[in-house]
Amino acid sequence: MFAYVVRRVLATIPVMAVVALFVFSLLYIAPGDPAAVIAGDQATPADIERIRASLGLDRPYLVRFGAWVWDIMRGDLGTSIFTNLPVSTMIAQRIEPTLSLMVVTLLLAVSVAVPMGVVAAWRQGTVIDRAVMGFAVLGFSVPVFVVGYVLAYVFALELDWLPVQGYTPFSRGFGPWIENLILPAIALGTVYIALIARITRATMLEVLQQDYIRTAKAKGVGQRAILFLHALKNAAVPIVTVIGIGIALLIGGAVVTESVFAIPGLGRLTVDAILRRDYPVIQGVVLLFSFVYVLVNLVIDLLYTLFDPRIRY
Amino acid sequence: MDRRSFIKAGVAAGVVAGSGGMAAPALSQAANRTLRFVPQANLANFDPIWGTQYVVRNAAVLVWDTLYGFDDKLEAQRQMVEGEQVSQDGLTWTFRLREGLRFHDNEPVRARDVVASINRWMPRDPMGQLLRALGDELVAVDDRTFRWRLKAPFPKMKMALGKNATPMCFIMPERIATRFDSFTQVNEYVGSGPMRFVRNEWVPGARAVFQRFDGYVPRNEPASWLAGGKRMMVDRVEWVIMPDPATASAALQNGEVDWWENPITDLVPVLRRNRNIAVDIADPLGNIGSFRMNHLQPPFNNPRVRQAVMTALSQRDYMTALVGNDENLWKTLGGFFTPGTPLYTEEGGEMMKAANLERGRQMLRESGYAGEPVVCLVAQDQPITKAQGDVTADLLRRLGMTVDYVATDWGTVGQRRALKNPPNQGGWSMFHTWHAGADAINPVLYNAVRANGDGAWFGWPNVPAVEAEVPNWLAASNLAEERAAIGRLNRAAVENVVYAPTGFFLGYQAWRRNVSGIVKGPIPFAWGVSKS
Repeated sequence: MFAYVVRRVLATIPVMAVVALFVFSLLYIAPGDPAAVIAGDQATPADIERIRASLGLDRPYLVRFGAWVWDIMRGDLGTSIFTNLPVSTMIAQRIEPTLSLMVVTLLLAVSVAVPMGVVAAWRQGTVIDRAVMGFAVLGFSVPVFVVGYVLAYVFALELDWLPVQGYTPFSRGFGPWIENLILPAIALGTVYIALIARITRATMLEVLQQDYIRTAKAKGVGQRAILFLHALKNAAVPIVTVIGIGIALLIGGAVVTESVFAIPGLGRLTVDAILRRDYPVIQGVVLLFSFVYVLVNLVIDLLYTLFDPRIRY
Repeated sequence: MDRRSFIKAGVAAGVVAGSGGMAAPALSQAANRTLRFVPQANLANFDPIWGTQYVVRNAAVLVWDTLYGFDDKLEAQRQMVEGEQVSQDGLTWTFRLREGLRFHDNEPVRARDVVASINRWMPRDPMGQLLRALGDELVAVDDRTFRWRLKAPFPKMKMALGKNATPMCFIMPERIATRFDSFTQVNEYVGSGPMRFVRNEWVPGARAVFQRFDGYVPRNEPASWLAGGKRMMVDRVEWVIMPDPATASAALQNGEVDWWENPITDLVPVLRRNRNIAVDIADPLGNIGSFRMNHLQPPFNNPRVRQAVMTALSQRDYMTALVGNDENLWKTLGGFFTPGTPLYTEEGGEMMKAANLERGRQMLRESGYAGEPVVCLVAQDQPITKAQGDVTADLLRRLGMTVDYVATDWGTVGQRRALKNPPNQGGWSMFHTWHAGADAINPVLYNAVRANGDGAWFGWPNVPAVEAEVPNWLAASNLAEERAAIGRLNRAAVENVVYAPTGFFLGYQAWRRNVSGIVKGPIPFAWGVSKS
């Protein structure tokens, strides 16, 4: 197992290298010019050229790529063209809100979706099952921003229970922290709940047909124990896989959710950087997201061994 | 007090009563000393000379002071300057600084700081570049006096140093102004304005914080835009960046922010229905919508094709698309300058108001237009350019032109518009933009109306008759002479369609009714604004 983990961790290096090359090249050929944005409408072409030169954007592709890779290898993600702040500082400023949003969403989604899926499978064909599936279809179909606006309108504007926007760091207390995250987490989690609930239901239906379940029932094992101890554990591998894949969904959804709820997270940082062509920031954030995704996949692979003893690395 | 605040205050009061303290009123008082403001855009950088975006300038006026400042009559009044003397021949200006001016690091503002700041500003500003060319010697005479000797008189000196168009001539410490040239971003934000920039609370894209500077000595005159006493009535100004207008609207209604700089027109009725919110015009100088045609490439290298388009376009269509049916928000233009300002003229501007599609079609037929595709760049991420682009594409098609509508983003337009290649080789035929009315008040600040060929703004119009009037305006010694020069400039600019104005439009601002002192102006001036 240890050797496997080491092998997988080492395997992230070529993956990250390919990602780095890909991202850098894409940005290099993409249209847009940060120097023109900085210079503003009053600037002359000569002004823009001077700014481009001062930012090093006039250097050849290989020189720029080499310099960037060299900096990364020394742990330096570069400096934002616009803010003049180190990219690592900007990421550090933004990571807590995004991490908080993702963790709360993940907890909410898993704790709601898995029981929903289990109950729907258990009560297959009943009103409960149809309600769960109806919710799943709806949750999958309605865009995140629509859910966000509706939640903000009802719970913030009309009922005045929760704030519309913003983020309060965890260091200022659990109450203010969670208050700002409830609506965004529900908005972002809706599609995730729908996805996990559907997969859980489908997998559970398959497992509930197995002989050992019938045996358990014949032995008089209680319904709850059958569902949650015997069936769910055996249905866990596909569910965990979907949860892992869903992390990418969350990263994408976080961009929209952070904009709708004005949360200063990595999603908004990415969008702002793309619109302004702040290359070092885009590159830094994409590298980080790729690394997180690779890491999540590794964790998911390791979790398989917990749920299915037959899986060994 | 809203429900959530009421519940929180109750809980806080309970906690405080239990602990024997008295924090609830203090908390409320602190809240009233903090102004939460939603700006038009993200404060992504904070060097007002290096980055010339309006949002940077709007934040910079809190932190950096200026020698002169425009008042609401667009006249430059003394600000840091106590007085100035001009020699008989108009070639030597001697300025004296006010007493007691201090930077936020508590160092006094000295004449050498001013000299260094002017030197850093000049290369980036059109009026500064003129001054630089005319300059013979700019020196600090003593700590409070500096002298500027010119090679030729420059009657617009105070305007240049006090204008509100970007980049403004902000004064910073010499050690910073000399360490970073105009094309390199500063990394210290030390000014002598009424607020300090709290750097460690700055999260670009999310928040910028300004704290009242106790060492600031305001002038005695009442504040008027950038002139007069800049008295801060709050201790702290928090800029809360909200990219989504619907969220900003909800936050304002919910009392989570106090003042929103630029609510979109669609949301104004919702805000007006809320009795806790006031809505009014933001900037009386407004904006001028525009599209620029490429004078170097077919079909718009043919002036008759440009005239056909200008004759056919209906400014009403553009303005309705931009700001809706509220006719208080827009007007049609017969000239290139900002309506309501001293130099506005409609001399020779009949074609701009023609809105005659039939006549435009006929002119296009007579122009020899051979069906060349018009590569029309339309940034989709800017509501103003998107709305204008859609109207233009429809107009051109109705005129009988072939339109290649390029839906893209503002960053790409910014790069592509600088290319002079033919449209089918990565170039362009036209793009849409807008100009702040505050910049369109004279021909030096307003580079969009200039027509000096390669030196002109994108589209590169070359109209000597326009350029001939710029020095005439600069040399004019009174308003009548200035207006005469601008009348001739306007006529030549319309005749040659330097660019196509699509109308003049205003925008709204909105604030909670417990906030008072907000004025209409080209910048959201925070001085004089208080909260109850």
